Amino acid sequence: MKKFNILFSFLLGLVLTYAQQTPAPIQTEAFTIEGATAHLGNGKVIENSLLMFADGKLSFVGDARTRIARQGKVIQASGMHVYPGFIAPGKSLGLVEINAVRASDDQDELGGMIPHVRSIIAYNAESQVVESLRPNGVLLSQITPKGGRISGTSSIVQLDAWNWEDALVKEDDGVHLNWPNSFRRGRWWLGEPRGFQPNKQYADQVEEVANFMTESAAYGKGPSSIQNPAMEAMQKLFNGSGKLYIYADGEREIIDAVTTAKATGIKEVVLVGGYQAVGVADLLKKHQVPVLVQSTHSLPRSEDHDYDYAYKLPRLLVDAGLLVGLQNASASNFQTRNLPFYAGQVVGQGLDKEVALQLISGNTAKILGIDSNYGTLEVGKSATLFISKGDALDMRGNQLTHAFIDGRLISLESHQTELWKRYEGKYQRQ
Amino acid sequence: MDLIDLRGDYTLNAGGLVTKMSISGTASKPKIKVSKDSTDYPSKITYKDNWLAVRFTTDAGDLYRLTGKVMENNQIIRGRLLLPNGQESQFRANLTEAFAEKEKKAKTEEAPEVLPLLYPNVGYGNAQKPQSQDVLFKGATVWTGTEILENTDVLVTKGKIAKVGKDLKASGAQVIDATGKHLTAGIIDEHSHIAGLSINEAGHNSSAEVRMKDVVDPKDIDIYRNLAGGVTTIQLLHGSANPIGGRSAILKLKWGEDAEGLLFPDAPKFIKFALGENVKQSNWQSYSRFPQTRMGVEQVFINYFQRAREYGKLKASGQPFRYDEEMEVMLEILNKERFISCHSYVQSEINMLMKVAEKFNFRVNTFTHILEGYKVADKMAEHGVGGSTFSDWWAYKYEVKDAIPFNAAIMHRAGVTVAINSDDAEMSRRLNQEAAKTVKYGGMSEIEAWQMVTLNAAKLLRIDNRVGSIEKGKDADLVLWSDHPLSVYAKAEKTMIEGAVYFDKQQDLAKRTAIDEQKNMLVRKMLKVKASGGKTQPARQNKKPRFECETL
Repeated sequence: MKKFNILFSFLLGLVLTYAQQTPAPIQTEAFTIEGATAHLGNGKVIENSLLMFADGKLSFVGDARTRIARQGKVIQASGMHVYPGFIAPGKSLGLVEINAVRASDDQDELGGMIPHVRSIIAYNAESQVVESLRPNGVLLSQITPKGGRISGTSSIVQLDAWNWEDALVKEDDGVHLNWPNSFRRGRWWLGEPRGFQPNKQYADQVEEVANFMTESAAYGKGPSSIQNPAMEAMQKLFNGSGKLYIYADGEREIIDAVTTAKATGIKEVVLVGGYQAVGVADLLKKHQVPVLVQSTHSLPRSEDHDYDYAYKLPRLLVDAGLLVGLQNASASNFQTRNLPFYAGQVVGQGLDKEVALQLISGNTAKILGIDSNYGTLEVGKSATLFISKGDALDMRGNQLTHAFIDGRLISLESHQTELWKRYEGKYQRQ
Repeated sequence: MDLIDLRGDYTLNAGGLVTKMSISGTASKPKIKVSKDSTDYPSKITYKDNWLAVRFTTDAGDLYRLTGKVMENNQIIRGRLLLPNGQESQFRANLTEAFAEKEKKAKTEEAPEVLPLLYPNVGYGNAQKPQSQDVLFKGATVWTGTEILENTDVLVTKGKIAKVGKDLKASGAQVIDATGKHLTAGIIDEHSHIAGLSINEAGHNSSAEVRMKDVVDPKDIDIYRNLAGGVTTIQLLHGSANPIGGRSAILKLKWGEDAEGLLFPDAPKFIKFALGENVKQSNWQSYSRFPQTRMGVEQVFINYFQRAREYGKLKASGQPFRYDEEMEVMLEILNKERFISCHSYVQSEINMLMKVAEKFNFRVNTFTHILEGYKVADKMAEHGVGGSTFSDWWAYKYEVKDAIPFNAAIMHRAGVTVAINSDDAEMSRRLNQEAAKTVKYGGMSEIEAWQMVTLNAAKLLRIDNRVGSIEKGKDADLVLWSDHPLSVYAKAEKTMIEGAVYFDKQQDLAKRTAIDEQKNMLVRKMLKVKASGGKTQPARQNKKPRFECETL
């Protein structure tokens, strides 16, 4: 009961509402975080650190023993940890609220090659799923359409906003392409065995994609009296202002995907998935293709594969010298809050903790092309960061006390914490 | 119909024209040669269902056509003949020499290579069935179930935990240096669908007659993967398609035993019940099965329990009665001999089932999933039902809109026995991490968090007198962890059931090598067959479906 009393007095101080959290106002007062272990997201750590930021930007990142005037409000954080806000690529956050409720689902538009379909205008900045990610340190995401061959164009947002315009970090950053599979699953409902079998249409499907790319490139070169919106939307890939995210897992698919895209003149390609990317690491390096590797919390795809294959795959790719980030694009959106733990899982497989952190911060920012401002704690970059009582990559330690997006002190409450407090309070009063 | 082999050399008399006719090839697809003196005539044969059709053209350009049925004795074949001028006649073919298979070149047949059987006989199987051995773990951090003891020894003899203490003597037991490592009881998953060959007997709103122990699959690789995550006991539950599901099987994950050998010895009897969207079939095109609403679900239960009560009365009366398997099972529930583990989501239905049970004078044993348990935790504690929940799942369907990760902690503080379960083959193999989330969400202590996947799960399955903690006399179902077991960094190094090691990190590496070698051997054999003209077929993966509650 004593526990309850302490908790209850804490609860009384809160106004319980039943709506989304109000986005934080723009930063007007400077902040100083002193004494924490700062994990910079670029592989470096500063024990007993000092961080200061004003007007949304970091103005000082260094040692707490530095003789320098502390700016604004000082947060004493010794024994705690500071991290850059984690970045979740390939998610349909805000495009679907409840998977099974069709009316709440806007993630998959009709059509096969629809790069002109843009996720950002459907992004629900007030999604209850979105606000549930922040208490775990996930503060940025790439909002990504799903399904079809070319699903559409994504945009990158920060996760504390009034509306989609307000949320934008980078508009129309990339096109998402689901590469054909050379194997397909057996259509068991037609009496075929369930396992994979060769996809006889693979070559045709690849040709279809290749043709679309070639035609799009040609469309961009010549003057056209009739606008083709799909090919228009592909132009950002040829002029380098957008990236092509290709979802592929098999070696053959990866080779076909990368060589096809490069042959048609697409500047920047990112591989998403990469279950067998280790075997083609040299090709990926040659074409400077980074990998957004599948979540470590996945099963092996074949019965005889190592039980811990998914746990160690990111480490194998890092060891192969690739630029690697983590995603859980195929998982339900609510799972996005487990992003830090996917990174933690790789540490158990022998990856350095700070390198593991890069997989969801610095590296991801580089891969998405937002590293000039996000992903690491460096002077001049956005103050998008959080303070955790313990190790944020471990379930036990991930306990946030403060989080900032562009220097704005954001709410760590959610629909879920409100229900928690409401019912703890109910039993306390009984 | 048996096909008559008509191959051989014949003398053919076709309306006076006498030629030689040789039939060779195979019995079902014969080839023909018609010749006179040393001249071959162009000819064609069709042979199907013992009906022969032949045509040939002489060097003078005359076309002869003949058809006839081949009889059992093909010494003479007779039939209709169409002469070059179109007139009909008869032909006759006399066998002069029966067909003799040419002697095949004596091939040096490759002797088949016989590999030893494994337990089970799949990848990662054991060369020998794991045997119970006496073991002394030295210097571990021991999580007994109620406390965490530094630098402590655990002695295992005859499959049981014999002693827990400091400076224990080995007395013939194998000594394992566990310094810097953590030793815990094996993880227990209250809600699992691995190791099953099917999950839902769908189509009817009650399937109490079916038993999960009839569909145990001891070769499911997910058993091995669970062991690699420190799981030793699971409840294999029927799915959630029906308000009254099938009877559960409690399994020990003894990788290498047969289906019978996996069954938890003398396990208490359980049955799966279900509520909510799945039983009312909300998320797929079904509009005609009762129930379609939560209101109807209550009536299904009341109806069945009422019938079971009446069945029981009739049975006890000594009057003749028709034996009914389903009613027998329902009666076991009323008699408190079988326990309900009920798939549940929202507070209204949870409350309803407790009231139905109270009306029929029994108690619900476990609410599984129980995502809104926190809203009725006080009522649950009063009823005496436990809760087995997900750590943090929500938002995938409407009834989990208010599911919160603080659920376990709130229910626990309200006095409910709480476990964390998986319902998922991926999550089940790292339930230690899921338990750790209750520290983050709701501030459980570490030992309380650990109980959620061991002792509390054992309590909910009514097997806590035998498993779930490290106590003298309990089964030696133990896991040796490389690190703090609630940490995301921890790996299971050894998983033991009743003193026998079923997973060992070092042995796992050896098994990987063996699988690679065997795979290479098989591929080489296949390529060799292909190169020597043998039969081939396209690659096809042999895959068993993976189940969860909703799999039909």
